[in-house]
Amino acid sequence: MILALLLLVVALCVVLAGWAGWFVARDRAVILNQLWGGAVIEALILVQGVVAIVLGATGSGAGDPLLFWGYYATTLVILPVAAAWAFAERTRWSSVVLLVASLTVAFLEWRMWQIWTGA
Amino acid sequence: MQETTRPGRPARRRTGRGFGRVLVTVYGVLAFAAIGRSSYELVVKFHEAPVAYSLSTLAAVVYVVATFALAIGSSRWRTVAWVTVGLEAVGVVTVGALSLADPGVFGESTVWSGFGEGYGYVPLVLPFVGLWWLRRTGTRAAAGAGEGTAEHTDEERTA
Repeated sequence: MILALLLLVVALCVVLAGWAGWFVARDRAVILNQLWGGAVIEALILVQGVVAIVLGATGSGAGDPLLFWGYYATTLVILPVAAAWAFAERTRWSSVVLLVASLTVAFLEWRMWQIWTGA
Repeated sequence: MQETTRPGRPARRRTGRGFGRVLVTVYGVLAFAAIGRSSYELVVKFHEAPVAYSLSTLAAVVYVVATFALAIGSSRWRTVAWVTVGLEAVGVVTVGALSLADPGVFGESTVWSGFGEGYGYVPLVLPFVGLWWLRRTGTRAAAGAGEGTAEHTDEERTA
């Protein structure tokens, strides 16, 4: 895992969560641009996966690979599912869904870092 | 009991709409967490604490079924939701209390140990929010008030 990449993902998640939080306050539903934001994060998570595979293959992988990839799979799935689930609801509650999903991904990234470094 | 704009629409509100979207989302996240945890435990270290890890697996199954039941929200699935969410409430309180009384009772910690403290007490709060939501969306009186425009109901409530 590359710390800078991970921090970028976390930062983007926090930004997306803030954006969604703003929409909750303004009583607005999720818009397509927010989903594009989620797609950027998702792409970066995929890059993280490739990096993790390469590092694992060169012998500097996660302390507990099974646990790490379990968390990775969950992290990868959450945003797309939450985006589809949120977008079908055209009320402010869809923004709450995006908020929860973004913060969850940020939290899972932190856990992945803990597992990777064996902390 | 008016079902005005949409013929055939059930008078009871769907559990997966409005605030229910958020509830299902949190349930989904917890379901993922529980599946991940229990499958890891089953594969790697089941023999260390069979009771604790069986409980984790049971919790995972209950969360998954509850998530789908709340998301679908038809009257049949509503019953399933009542049962699974109720099971969770009983499970987290029982296991939480037992683990508090005797930390080593299950050999290892579970999702429900310490009332779900490992998950920010979300497992403790969630089933009761779920029961409240099922009750609220299930009463026809609540559904009847302006239910003709279901999409607007939530906005009116939160405005």
